[in-house]
Amino acid sequence: MASVRFNDVSKKFGNFAAVANLTLEIMDKEFLVLLGPSGCGKTTTMRMVAGLEEVTAGDLYIGNDRINDTLPKYRDVAMVFQSYALYPHLTVEENIGYPLRVRKVPLTERKRQVLDVALRVELDGLLGRRPKELSGGQRQRVALARAIIRTPRVFLMDEPLSNLDAKLRVQMRAELKHLQHELQVTTIYVTHDQIEAMTLAHRVAVMNKGIIEQLGKPKDIYNNPRTLFVAGFIGSPPMNLIDGEVQDGVFAGPGGLRVPGLGRATVPRAVLGVRPEDAQVVINSAEEANFSAPIYSAELTGESTLVSVRAGDTLLTMRADKNFAGDFDQIVGVRIRPERAFLFDRESRNRVDF
Amino acid sequence: MTRSRASLISQRIAAAVAIAVALILTLFPVYWIAGNSFKFDIDIFSVPPQWFPANPTLKHYNAAFIERPFLQYGLNSLIIAMATTIVSLVLGTMAGYALARFKYPGQWRYQISFWILSTRMMPPIVTIIPLYLAFNYLDMLNTKWAVVIAYTAFNLPFATWMMKSYFQDLPVELEEAAMVDGDTRWGAFLRVALPLARPGLAATAIFCLIISWNEFLLALILTLTERSQTLPIGIAGRVTQYNTYWGEISAAGFTACIPIMIFAFVVQKHLVRGLSFGAVKG
Repeated sequence: MASVRFNDVSKKFGNFAAVANLTLEIMDKEFLVLLGPSGCGKTTTMRMVAGLEEVTAGDLYIGNDRINDTLPKYRDVAMVFQSYALYPHLTVEENIGYPLRVRKVPLTERKRQVLDVALRVELDGLLGRRPKELSGGQRQRVALARAIIRTPRVFLMDEPLSNLDAKLRVQMRAELKHLQHELQVTTIYVTHDQIEAMTLAHRVAVMNKGIIEQLGKPKDIYNNPRTLFVAGFIGSPPMNLIDGEVQDGVFAGPGGLRVPGLGRATVPRAVLGVRPEDAQVVINSAEEANFSAPIYSAELTGESTLVSVRAGDTLLTMRADKNFAGDFDQIVGVRIRPERAFLFDRESRNRVDF
Repeated sequence: MTRSRASLISQRIAAAVAIAVALILTLFPVYWIAGNSFKFDIDIFSVPPQWFPANPTLKHYNAAFIERPFLQYGLNSLIIAMATTIVSLVLGTMAGYALARFKYPGQWRYQISFWILSTRMMPPIVTIIPLYLAFNYLDMLNTKWAVVIAYTAFNLPFATWMMKSYFQDLPVELEEAAMVDGDTRWGAFLRVALPLARPGLAATAIFCLIISWNEFLLALILTLTERSQTLPIGIAGRVTQYNTYWGEISAAGFTACIPIMIFAFVVQKHLVRGLSFGAVKG
């Protein structure tokens, strides 16, 4: 068990900087999620820890050991691959026992440990099968069992849930979280799914174009996004981002949308960010609304209704009550509470406080 | 309904006819050699042709394998072909793996691969005089090892390229997983990549074996006596100034087909999978 430390680490493929000057410390026993769109450098960051990509510049530590030039086998990490990377010619038992076989653990001891782990992830009836005879969820469990059969210093998980169907993904997510809590092993988890990041992580590092845009607890990242990218990436449905202009604390957007009360801010090229749950649909009290428009669409998700209207070219989505009864083309008002809105500078793409 | 059934039947008939023609074209020569090897000389040339040996005899087998040294030729062929195949397979597999997996600066992966293949671009006969002189200098003429070395030089580029393409088709993540699990690169190669490349190994082995077994030109120049001469040379030697011994040629030729057929039969399951490995994943 150990911390992982990136000290000004860069990775270049030719002239392309996949990871640029990354400085990040992952605490002992921490569950850190690297979140970002594809190509943001999150998988490269993880593969550097595994020793599958060389570090171009900077220093990478596990515990107190600088591991830049250490072979994967001496790093004592375990990894779950997105494709699971199960050895197709070996049985489930041999797959799970592979790390022990490589370490020359005697066969009887190996069998005992494999059975222990298999019981833990509920694979015990399937030890004699080969990977192609397993379902997706079972394969995922084999990959997991192979990782936890020894107690490595760091777990690395590269989108481990992305190949599962939605229902199984939710179940495995909870199991993963519990397992990490039980084993207390430092974990780096890569995903592009912000729900996974929010639910699993102690801390989330939101990555974009090779750099960390924001690092913090899930709650902080959700409630206090520091850049336009983070604001747009976190949240489902995503935050409404409305282009406009702020003069003396008053936002003027497309289609006559006006939001006053933004302090004394003046931003000529601004983006107003409002989460769907922080914008209200008002039907009968037009004076409270910042803006009125016909309903573009109303979608019942079960727990709530997503109501959208158009402001110029921008589609605004609001979360309304599940009993919301409006229909297409009905005129509704939109109320945006300035204290729950975020203001960004469209040039620097950073948050503007007000 | 009936029309489609009729067209299905006619399709089947057309396919059956095509297969029958192909079978006759490929199998009849084998049958004819087999038949001739059991006929007396006079029957081999009888008009109309004797489709089936009327008075079967083992005379030609006796002549070839007891009176003449065809048994020794066969043994030489077997040793040379097997040694060539093993050496080509071992070296070609490792070279192919290195070309498929290791990192090379710039275009070097392509350049090295192309250079390896380019050694096969000149006709073998071009190399015969240098090879003859080299083996003469090393005092290795008329030895089996000279033939093995020359054959390996000609088989290795193909073996390397075939194995390279098989390794490239294997997902690299499997070896990465093995290395993160605590294995070395060499261990990942031995325990993960190699077992998965078995179809490729089988295909490459039979390829090398057939080429070495059938080779004539190099063996003709590099060998002199039955100490190192192979079956093709022995068979060609029965075409003499005065007579062509068709019976003996048939007996030895038919016998020479058998080991390759047995080997092909043994590995054919792997071979078929091997040849389609790149096209159909999984």
